[in-house]
Amino acid sequence: MIELQNVTKYFRTTLGKKYILKNSSFTIPENVNVGILGKNGAGKSTLMRMLGKIEFPNEGKIISDKSFSWVMGVGGGFENNMTGRANVKFVCRIYGKSQEEINRSIEFVKEFSELGDYFEMPIRTYSSGMKSRLTFGLSLAFDFDYLLIDETLSVGDARFRKKSKEALMKKIESCNVLLVSHDMGTLRDICDVGIVSHNAKLHFFEDINDAIKMYASINK
Amino acid sequence: MRERSPWEVQKSVLYALFLREVAVRFSAGKLGYFWVIFEPLMQISIFVMVKVLLFGNNSTLDYPVFITLGFIAFNLFRHLVDRSMSAFKANKGLYAYKQVKPIDTLIARLLVEILVTGIIVVVFVGAGFYLGADMNVENLGMLILGFIWLILFSVSFGLLIGILGLFFDSFQKVVKLVLSPLMFVSAIFYSMQDMPQALQEILYYNPLVHFMEMLHANYFYALNDNFVDYSYLLIWTIVPMYISLWLYQKLEKGIISL
Repeated sequence: MIELQNVTKYFRTTLGKKYILKNSSFTIPENVNVGILGKNGAGKSTLMRMLGKIEFPNEGKIISDKSFSWVMGVGGGFENNMTGRANVKFVCRIYGKSQEEINRSIEFVKEFSELGDYFEMPIRTYSSGMKSRLTFGLSLAFDFDYLLIDETLSVGDARFRKKSKEALMKKIESCNVLLVSHDMGTLRDICDVGIVSHNAKLHFFEDINDAIKMYASINK
Repeated sequence: MRERSPWEVQKSVLYALFLREVAVRFSAGKLGYFWVIFEPLMQISIFVMVKVLLFGNNSTLDYPVFITLGFIAFNLFRHLVDRSMSAFKANKGLYAYKQVKPIDTLIARLLVEILVTGIIVVVFVGAGFYLGADMNVENLGMLILGFIWLILFSVSFGLLIGILGLFFDSFQKVVKLVLSPLMFVSAIFYSMQDMPQALQEILYYNPLVHFMEMLHANYFYALNDNFVDYSYLLIWTIVPMYISLWLYQKLEKGIISL
Protein backbone atom coordinates (compact mmCIF):
# COMPACT_ATOMS: atom_id res chain seq x y z
CA MET A 1 0.00 0.00 0.00
CA ILE A 2 1.16 3.49 -0.80
CA GLU A 3 -0.48 6.40 0.91
CA LEU A 4 -0.15 10.05 -0.09
CA GLN A 5 -1.18 12.46 2.67
CA ASN A 6 -1.82 16.08 1.68
CA VAL A 7 1.14 16.09 -0.65
CA THR A 8 2.09 19.42 -2.17
CA LYS A 9 4.99 19.73 -4.55
CA TYR A 10 6.11 22.78 -6.44
CA PHE A 11 9.20 24.05 -8.17
CA ARG A 12 10.43 27.57 -7.75
CA THR A 13 10.98 29.15 -11.11
CA THR A 14 11.72 32.70 -12.16
CA LEU A 15 7.99 33.01 -12.90
CA GLY A 16 6.91 31.98 -9.41
CA LYS A 17 5.95 28.63 -7.98
CA LYS A 18 4.93 25.95 -10.47
CA TYR A 19 2.68 23.44 -8.78
CA ILE A 20 3.00 19.76 -9.68
CA LEU A 21 0.72 18.62 -6.88
CA LYS A 22 -1.58 20.63 -4.67
CA ASN A 23 -2.69 19.07 -1.41
CA SER A 24 -3.23 15.63 -2.90
CA SER A 25 -4.31 12.64 -0.83
CA PHE A 26 -5.10 9.13 -1.92
CA THR A 27 -4.17 5.51 -1.42
CA ILE A 28 -2.89 2.99 -3.92
CA PRO A 29 -4.10 -0.46 -2.83
CA GLU A 30 -1.92 -3.56 -2.42
CA ASN A 31 -0.91 -5.84 -5.25
CA VAL A 32 -1.92 -3.74 -8.22
CA ASN A 33 0.15 -2.48 -11.11
CA VAL A 34 -0.24 1.23 -11.59
CA GLY A 35 -0.13 3.18 -14.82
CA ILE A 36 0.58 6.89 -14.61
CA LEU A 37 -0.67 9.12 -17.40
CA GLY A 38 -0.49 12.80 -18.08
CA LYS A 39 0.69 15.39 -20.51
CA ASN A 40 4.35 16.34 -20.72
CA GLY A 41 5.28 18.45 -17.72
CA ALA A 42 2.26 17.34 -15.72
CA GLY A 43 4.54 15.91 -13.03
CA LYS A 44 4.55 12.20 -13.78
CA SER A 45 8.30 11.90 -13.44
CA THR A 46 8.34 14.03 -10.31
CA LEU A 47 5.74 11.77 -8.75
CA MET A 48 7.92 8.77 -9.59
CA ARG A 49 10.98 10.46 -8.14
CA MET A 50 9.08 11.22 -4.95
CA LEU A 51 8.05 7.58 -4.65
CA GLY A 52 11.68 6.62 -5.26
CA LYS A 53 12.69 9.03 -2.46
CA ILE A 54 15.07 11.17 -4.47
CA GLU A 55 12.66 14.09 -4.66
CA PHE A 56 10.77 15.30 -1.62
CA PRO A 57 7.30 16.82 -1.16
CA ASN A 58 7.24 20.45 -0.03
CA GLU A 59 4.34 19.59 2.25
CA GLY A 60 2.64 16.38 3.29
CA LYS A 61 3.91 12.82 3.40
CA ILE A 62 4.20 9.70 1.33
CA ILE A 63 3.87 6.61 3.50
CA SER A 64 4.68 3.07 2.44
CA ASP A 65 6.36 0.03 3.92
CA LYS A 66 7.26 -1.36 0.50
CA SER A 67 10.63 -1.28 -1.18
CA PHE A 68 10.93 0.73 -4.36
CA SER A 69 13.47 0.42 -7.12
CA TRP A 70 15.29 3.48 -8.39
CA VAL A 71 13.48 5.33 -11.13
CA MET A 72 14.27 3.71 -14.43
CA GLY A 73 14.18 6.70 -16.70
CA VAL A 74 15.46 7.43 -20.16
CA GLY A 75 18.35 9.34 -18.59
CA GLY A 76 19.50 6.24 -16.76
CA GLY A 77 20.68 7.21 -13.30
CA PHE A 78 24.22 6.22 -14.03
CA GLU A 79 27.53 7.88 -13.44
CA ASN A 80 28.66 8.89 -16.91
CA ASN A 81 32.38 8.34 -16.45
CA MET A 82 32.06 4.81 -15.13
CA THR A 83 31.75 1.81 -17.43
CA GLY A 84 28.54 -0.15 -17.64
CA ARG A 85 30.14 -2.92 -15.63
CA ALA A 86 31.37 -0.52 -12.93
CA ASN A 87 27.91 0.99 -12.63
CA VAL A 88 26.31 -2.42 -12.25
CA LYS A 89 28.89 -3.37 -9.63
CA PHE A 90 28.30 -0.10 -7.82
CA VAL A 91 24.54 -0.58 -7.64
CA CYS A 92 24.93 -4.19 -6.48
CA ARG A 93 27.29 -3.04 -3.75
CA ILE A 94 25.05 -0.28 -2.41
CA TYR A 95 22.24 -2.80 -2.15
CA GLY A 96 24.56 -4.99 -0.08
CA LYS A 97 25.03 -7.92 -2.47
CA SER A 98 27.85 -10.34 -1.77
CA GLN A 99 30.72 -10.76 -4.22
CA GLU A 100 29.22 -13.99 -5.53
CA GLU A 101 25.81 -12.37 -6.09
CA ILE A 102 27.52 -9.41 -7.76
CA ASN A 103 29.28 -11.67 -10.25
CA ARG A 104 26.04 -13.42 -11.04
CA SER A 105 24.20 -10.11 -11.49
CA ILE A 106 26.92 -8.76 -13.77
CA GLU A 107 26.69 -11.81 -16.00
CA PHE A 108 22.92 -11.56 -16.11
CA VAL A 109 22.82 -7.83 -16.88
CA LYS A 110 25.51 -8.15 -19.50
CA GLU A 111 23.60 -10.85 -21.27
CA PHE A 112 20.17 -9.30 -20.96
CA SER A 113 21.16 -5.78 -22.01
CA GLU A 114 22.96 -7.06 -25.13
CA LEU A 115 25.45 -4.22 -24.93
CA GLY A 116 28.42 -6.30 -26.06
CA ASP A 117 31.66 -4.33 -25.93
CA TYR A 118 29.83 -1.23 -24.75
CA PHE A 119 29.39 -2.94 -21.39
CA GLU A 120 33.09 -2.21 -20.75
CA MET A 121 32.87 1.41 -21.91
CA PRO A 122 31.90 4.57 -20.04
CA ILE A 123 28.19 5.38 -19.95
CA ARG A 124 28.81 8.71 -21.71
CA THR A 125 29.43 6.75 -24.91
CA TYR A 126 25.96 5.15 -24.70
CA SER A 127 22.89 6.14 -26.63
CA SER A 128 19.73 6.74 -24.61
CA GLY A 129 18.37 3.39 -25.75
CA MET A 130 21.47 1.61 -24.50
CA LYS A 131 21.20 3.33 -21.13
CA SER A 132 17.62 2.20 -20.82
CA ARG A 133 18.57 -1.35 -21.66
CA LEU A 134 21.21 -1.31 -18.97
CA THR A 135 19.00 0.21 -16.28
CA PHE A 136 16.16 -2.15 -17.13
CA GLY A 137 18.38 -5.21 -17.15
CA LEU A 138 19.91 -4.13 -13.87
CA SER A 139 16.54 -3.71 -12.19
CA LEU A 140 15.64 -7.27 -13.11
CA ALA A 141 18.58 -8.45 -11.02
CA PHE A 142 16.90 -7.20 -7.83
CA ASP A 143 13.77 -8.09 -5.92
CA PHE A 144 11.82 -4.95 -5.16
CA ASP A 145 8.18 -4.68 -4.15
CA TYR A 146 7.69 -1.97 -6.76
CA LEU A 147 9.53 -1.21 -9.94
CA LEU A 148 9.44 2.45 -10.94
CA ILE A 149 9.56 2.63 -14.70
CA ASP A 150 9.57 5.97 -16.48
CA GLU A 151 9.11 5.47 -20.23
CA THR A 152 12.01 3.04 -20.54
CA LEU A 153 9.87 0.43 -22.28
CA SER A 154 9.25 2.68 -25.24
CA VAL A 155 12.88 3.08 -26.28
CA GLY A 156 15.12 0.64 -28.04
CA ASP A 157 14.34 -1.28 -31.17
CA ALA A 158 11.20 -3.35 -31.68
CA ARG A 159 12.85 -6.65 -30.86
CA PHE A 160 14.32 -5.43 -27.59
CA ARG A 161 11.04 -3.75 -26.66
CA LYS A 162 9.30 -7.05 -27.06
CA LYS A 163 11.96 -8.86 -25.07
CA SER A 164 11.85 -6.37 -22.18
CA LYS A 165 8.07 -6.40 -22.11
CA GLU A 166 8.12 -10.18 -21.83
CA ALA A 167 10.74 -10.02 -19.11
CA LEU A 168 8.65 -7.45 -17.27
CA MET A 169 5.49 -9.55 -17.55
CA LYS A 170 7.39 -12.41 -15.95
CA LYS A 171 8.86 -10.15 -13.27
CA ILE A 172 5.51 -8.71 -12.21
CA GLU A 173 4.35 -12.14 -11.18
CA SER A 174 6.47 -11.54 -8.07
CA CYS A 175 6.38 -7.76 -7.76
CA ASN A 176 4.36 -4.72 -8.79
CA VAL A 177 5.10 -1.92 -11.13
CA LEU A 178 4.47 1.81 -11.35
CA LEU A 179 4.68 2.68 -14.98
CA VAL A 180 4.79 6.00 -16.76
CA SER A 181 4.04 5.53 -20.42
CA HIS A 182 2.46 7.17 -23.43
CA ASP A 183 1.85 3.78 -25.00
CA MET A 184 -1.75 2.83 -24.25
CA GLY A 185 -1.22 -0.76 -25.37
CA THR A 186 1.55 -1.30 -22.84
CA LEU A 187 -0.50 0.35 -20.12
CA ARG A 188 -3.50 -1.89 -20.82
CA ASP A 189 -1.34 -5.02 -20.90
CA ILE A 190 0.55 -4.40 -17.70
CA CYS A 191 -1.45 -2.10 -15.44
CA ASP A 192 -4.60 -2.71 -13.38
CA VAL A 193 -5.27 0.76 -12.00
CA GLY A 194 -4.45 4.20 -13.36
CA ILE A 195 -3.52 7.65 -12.17
CA VAL A 196 -3.98 10.68 -14.36
CA SER A 197 -1.91 13.71 -13.47
CA HIS A 198 -3.65 16.87 -14.62
CA ASN A 199 -3.66 20.50 -13.45
CA ALA A 200 -1.72 19.76 -10.26
CA LYS A 201 -4.23 17.09 -9.23
CA LEU A 202 -3.97 13.32 -9.30
CA HIS A 203 -7.04 11.42 -10.40
CA PHE A 204 -7.16 7.81 -9.31
CA PHE A 205 -9.06 5.17 -11.32
CA GLU A 206 -9.84 1.59 -10.25
CA ASP A 207 -9.68 0.55 -13.88
CA ILE A 208 -6.85 1.51 -16.19
CA ASN A 209 -9.31 1.85 -19.08
CA ASP A 210 -11.13 4.69 -17.31
CA ALA A 211 -7.81 6.43 -16.79
CA ILE A 212 -7.03 6.08 -20.47
CA LYS A 213 -10.46 7.55 -21.30
CA MET A 214 -9.84 10.59 -19.12
CA TYR A 215 -6.38 11.03 -20.58
CA ALA A 216 -7.88 10.91 -24.07
CA SER A 217 -10.44 13.56 -23.14
CA ILE A 218 -7.89 16.03 -21.76
CA ASN A 219 -5.85 15.59 -24.89
CA LYS A 220 -8.71 16.63 -27.13
CA MET B 1 14.06 -7.45 -0.18
CA ARG B 2 15.69 -7.89 3.24
CA GLU B 3 15.44 -4.86 5.49
CA ARG B 4 18.87 -3.46 6.35
CA SER B 5 19.78 -1.18 9.24
CA PRO B 6 20.74 2.42 8.36
CA TRP B 7 24.32 1.74 9.36
CA GLU B 8 24.50 -1.36 7.15
CA VAL B 9 23.17 0.68 4.24
CA GLN B 10 25.61 3.52 4.77
CA LYS B 11 28.49 1.11 5.19
CA SER B 12 27.82 -0.55 1.85
CA VAL B 13 27.35 2.84 0.17
CA LEU B 14 30.63 4.14 1.59
CA TYR B 15 32.42 0.97 0.53
CA ALA B 16 31.05 1.19 -3.02
CA LEU B 17 31.87 4.90 -3.28
CA PHE B 18 35.32 4.34 -1.82
CA LEU B 19 36.17 1.74 -4.47
CA ARG B 20 34.81 4.03 -7.14
CA GLU B 21 36.86 6.99 -5.90
CA VAL B 22 40.01 4.88 -5.67
CA ALA B 23 39.53 3.89 -9.30
CA VAL B 24 39.09 7.55 -10.28
CA ARG B 25 41.97 8.87 -8.19
CA PHE B 26 44.47 6.28 -9.39
CA SER B 27 43.47 6.27 -13.01
CA ALA B 28 44.80 9.68 -14.10
CA GLY B 29 46.40 8.47 -17.29
CA LYS B 30 47.80 4.99 -17.67
CA LEU B 31 50.32 5.37 -14.86
CA GLY B 32 47.92 6.50 -12.13
CA TYR B 33 49.64 4.70 -9.27
CA PHE B 34 53.00 5.99 -10.40
CA TRP B 35 51.94 9.65 -10.52
CA VAL B 36 50.41 9.57 -7.07
CA ILE B 37 53.92 9.01 -5.68
CA PHE B 38 55.94 10.75 -8.35
CA GLU B 39 54.13 14.08 -8.29
CA PRO B 40 54.95 14.98 -4.67
CA LEU B 41 58.43 13.50 -5.12
CA MET B 42 59.14 15.89 -8.02
CA GLN B 43 57.70 18.81 -6.15
CA ILE B 44 59.76 18.13 -3.06
CA SER B 45 62.98 17.47 -5.00
CA ILE B 46 62.66 20.77 -6.84
CA PHE B 47 62.15 22.78 -3.67
CA VAL B 48 64.96 20.98 -1.86
CA MET B 49 67.31 21.69 -4.76
CA VAL B 50 66.36 25.34 -4.96
CA LYS B 51 66.76 25.74 -1.24
CA VAL B 52 70.16 24.01 -1.07
CA LEU B 53 71.51 25.73 -4.18
CA LEU B 54 70.39 29.21 -3.16
CA PHE B 55 70.95 29.17 0.56
CA GLY B 56 73.19 26.17 1.18
CA ASN B 57 72.50 23.50 3.74
CA ASN B 58 74.11 25.15 6.73
CA SER B 59 71.31 24.75 9.19
CA THR B 60 70.89 22.40 12.11
CA LEU B 61 67.74 21.08 10.41
CA ASP B 62 67.52 18.30 7.88
CA TYR B 63 65.95 20.43 5.15
CA PRO B 64 64.77 17.67 2.83
CA VAL B 65 62.80 16.21 5.73
CA PHE B 66 61.54 19.64 6.74
CA ILE B 67 60.27 20.34 3.24
CA THR B 68 58.89 16.84 2.75
CA LEU B 69 56.82 17.09 5.91
CA GLY B 70 55.53 20.50 4.86
CA PHE B 71 54.56 19.34 1.39
CA ILE B 72 52.86 16.16 2.54
CA ALA B 73 50.71 18.22 4.89
CA PHE B 74 50.05 20.95 2.35
CA ASN B 75 49.16 18.48 -0.42
CA LEU B 76 46.81 16.72 1.96
CA PHE B 77 45.10 20.04 2.63
CA ARG B 78 44.99 21.05 -1.02
CA HIS B 79 43.65 17.74 -2.25
CA LEU B 80 41.10 17.48 0.53
CA VAL B 81 39.73 20.95 -0.17
CA ASP B 82 39.77 20.36 -3.91
CA ARG B 83 38.08 16.95 -3.69
CA SER B 84 35.58 17.96 -0.99
CA MET B 85 34.33 20.99 -2.80
CA SER B 86 33.65 19.11 -6.03
CA ALA B 87 32.26 15.94 -4.41
CA PHE B 88 28.57 16.89 -4.52
CA LYS B 89 28.47 17.68 -8.19
CA ALA B 90 30.82 14.95 -9.39
CA ASN B 91 28.58 12.16 -8.14
CA LYS B 92 25.24 13.67 -9.08
CA GLY B 93 24.28 10.69 -11.26
CA LEU B 94 24.47 8.38 -8.27
CA TYR B 95 21.85 10.22 -6.22
CA ALA B 96 19.34 8.36 -8.40
CA TYR B 97 19.74 5.65 -5.78
CA LYS B 98 18.08 6.80 -2.62
CA GLN B 99 20.65 5.32 -0.26
CA VAL B 100 23.46 7.45 -1.71
CA LYS B 101 23.55 10.74 0.20
CA PRO B 102 25.80 13.60 -0.87
CA ILE B 103 27.73 13.51 2.42
CA ASP B 104 28.69 9.88 1.67
CA THR B 105 30.51 10.97 -1.47
CA LEU B 106 32.44 13.46 0.64
CA ILE B 107 33.37 10.88 3.28
CA ALA B 108 34.47 8.43 0.57
CA ARG B 109 36.77 11.04 -0.96
CA LEU B 110 38.14 11.89 2.47
CA LEU B 111 39.01 8.23 3.05
CA VAL B 112 40.69 7.97 -0.35
CA GLU B 113 42.84 11.05 0.29
CA ILE B 114 43.87 9.65 3.66
CA LEU B 115 44.81 6.39 1.94
CA VAL B 116 46.85 8.23 -0.69
CA THR B 117 48.65 10.30 1.93
CA GLY B 118 49.24 7.14 3.95
CA ILE B 119 50.91 5.48 0.96
CA ILE B 120 53.05 8.54 0.32
CA VAL B 121 54.09 8.71 3.98
CA VAL B 122 55.09 5.05 3.98
CA VAL B 123 57.18 5.50 0.83
CA PHE B 124 58.91 8.62 2.12
CA VAL B 125 59.54 7.21 5.58
CA GLY B 126 61.07 4.12 3.97
CA ALA B 127 63.23 6.28 1.73
CA GLY B 128 64.17 8.46 4.71
CA PHE B 129 65.48 5.53 6.72
CA TYR B 130 67.29 4.16 3.71
CA LEU B 131 69.00 7.47 2.96
CA GLY B 132 69.79 8.13 6.61
CA ALA B 133 67.70 11.28 6.95
CA ASP B 134 66.69 12.75 10.29
CA MET B 135 63.91 10.33 11.27
CA ASN B 136 64.02 11.17 14.95
CA VAL B 137 60.55 12.54 15.70
CA GLU B 138 60.25 14.66 18.83
CA ASN B 139 56.61 13.90 19.55
CA LEU B 140 54.97 11.34 17.27
CA GLY B 141 51.60 11.42 19.08
CA MET B 142 51.28 15.18 18.68
CA LEU B 143 52.43 14.94 15.08
CA ILE B 144 49.63 12.48 14.29
CA LEU B 145 47.10 14.59 16.18
CA GLY B 146 48.28 17.60 14.19
CA PHE B 147 47.55 15.73 10.96
CA ILE B 148 44.10 14.69 12.18
CA TRP B 149 43.37 18.31 13.06
CA LEU B 150 44.56 19.42 9.63
CA ILE B 151 42.23 16.84 8.03
CA LEU B 152 39.22 18.09 10.03
CA PHE B 153 40.05 21.68 9.10
CA SER B 154 40.49 20.89 5.41
CA VAL B 155 37.29 18.90 5.12
CA SER B 156 35.17 21.49 6.91
CA PHE B 157 36.64 24.17 4.73
CA GLY B 158 36.12 22.09 1.57
CA LEU B 159 32.56 21.20 2.54
CA LEU B 160 31.75 24.86 3.12
CA ILE B 161 33.16 25.88 -0.24
CA GLY B 162 31.41 22.94 -1.90
CA ILE B 163 28.03 24.02 -0.55
CA LEU B 164 28.55 27.68 -1.38
CA GLY B 165 29.79 26.61 -4.81
CA LEU B 166 26.42 25.00 -5.50
CA PHE B 167 24.88 28.46 -5.51
CA PHE B 168 27.73 30.60 -6.83
CA ASP B 169 29.33 29.02 -9.86
CA SER B 170 32.50 31.07 -9.94
CA PHE B 171 33.21 30.55 -6.27
CA GLN B 172 35.01 27.23 -6.71
CA LYS B 173 37.09 28.55 -9.56
CA VAL B 174 38.39 31.39 -7.38
CA VAL B 175 39.27 28.96 -4.60
CA LYS B 176 41.08 26.68 -7.05
CA LEU B 177 43.06 29.63 -8.31
CA VAL B 178 44.11 30.56 -4.78
CA LEU B 179 45.07 27.04 -3.65
CA SER B 180 48.34 26.72 -5.58
CA PRO B 181 50.00 30.05 -4.74
CA LEU B 182 48.97 29.42 -1.13
CA MET B 183 51.95 27.07 -1.13
CA PHE B 184 54.35 30.03 -0.95
CA VAL B 185 52.75 31.72 2.05
CA SER B 186 52.19 28.69 4.23
CA ALA B 187 55.57 28.17 5.92
CA ILE B 188 56.14 24.90 4.08
CA PHE B 189 59.78 25.35 3.08
CA TYR B 190 60.77 28.00 5.57
CA SER B 191 60.34 28.52 9.27
CA MET B 192 58.47 31.55 10.62
CA GLN B 193 61.36 32.35 12.96
CA ASP B 194 63.62 33.02 9.95
CA MET B 195 61.23 35.56 8.44
CA PRO B 196 61.45 39.32 8.90
CA GLN B 197 58.94 40.63 11.40
CA ALA B 198 56.87 42.60 8.89
CA LEU B 199 56.30 39.44 6.88
CA GLN B 200 55.59 37.38 9.97
CA GLU B 201 52.72 39.66 10.89
CA ILE B 202 51.04 39.13 7.53
CA LEU B 203 51.68 35.37 7.28
CA TYR B 204 50.31 35.00 10.77
CA TYR B 205 46.75 35.38 9.47
CA ASN B 206 47.09 32.25 7.34
CA PRO B 207 45.84 29.27 9.38
CA LEU B 208 48.02 26.92 7.34
CA VAL B 209 51.11 28.68 8.70
CA HIS B 210 50.02 27.66 12.18
CA PHE B 211 49.44 24.08 11.09
CA MET B 212 52.87 23.86 9.44
CA GLU B 213 54.61 25.38 12.45
CA MET B 214 52.80 22.95 14.70
CA LEU B 215 53.76 19.91 12.60
CA HIS B 216 57.37 21.05 12.20
CA ALA B 217 57.68 21.81 15.90
CA ASN B 218 56.47 18.35 16.83
CA TYR B 219 58.86 16.68 14.42
CA PHE B 220 62.10 18.55 15.06
CA TYR B 221 63.77 18.95 18.42
CA ALA B 222 65.33 22.19 17.17
CA LEU B 223 61.98 23.90 16.54
CA ASN B 224 59.25 25.02 18.89
CA ASP B 225 55.62 26.04 18.54
CA ASN B 226 56.01 29.66 19.69
CA PHE B 227 54.28 30.85 16.54
CA VAL B 228 51.29 28.55 16.82
CA ASP B 229 48.08 30.14 18.07
CA TYR B 230 45.97 27.11 18.96
CA SER B 231 42.79 29.06 19.64
CA TYR B 232 43.10 30.73 16.24
CA LEU B 233 43.26 27.26 14.64
CA LEU B 234 40.33 26.11 16.71
CA ILE B 235 38.21 29.00 15.42
CA TRP B 236 39.25 28.24 11.84
CA THR B 237 38.17 24.62 12.33
CA ILE B 238 34.99 24.92 14.36
CA VAL B 239 33.37 27.84 12.55
CA PRO B 240 33.54 26.35 9.02
CA MET B 241 32.60 22.92 10.37
CA TYR B 242 29.57 24.25 12.21
CA ILE B 243 28.35 26.44 9.35
CA SER B 244 28.90 23.81 6.67
CA LEU B 245 27.22 20.97 8.59
CA TRP B 246 24.34 23.24 9.49
CA LEU B 247 23.93 24.29 5.86
CA TYR B 248 24.29 20.69 4.71
CA GLN B 249 21.51 19.28 6.84
CA LYS B 250 19.28 22.17 5.73
CA LEU B 251 20.09 21.65 2.06
CA GLU B 252 20.64 17.89 1.71
CA LYS B 253 17.34 17.25 -0.05
CA GLY B 254 17.95 20.14 -2.39
CA ILE B 255 21.40 18.82 -3.29
CA ILE B 256 19.99 15.36 -4.05
CA SER B 257 17.36 16.64 -6.48
CA LEU B 258 19.61 19.31 -7.96
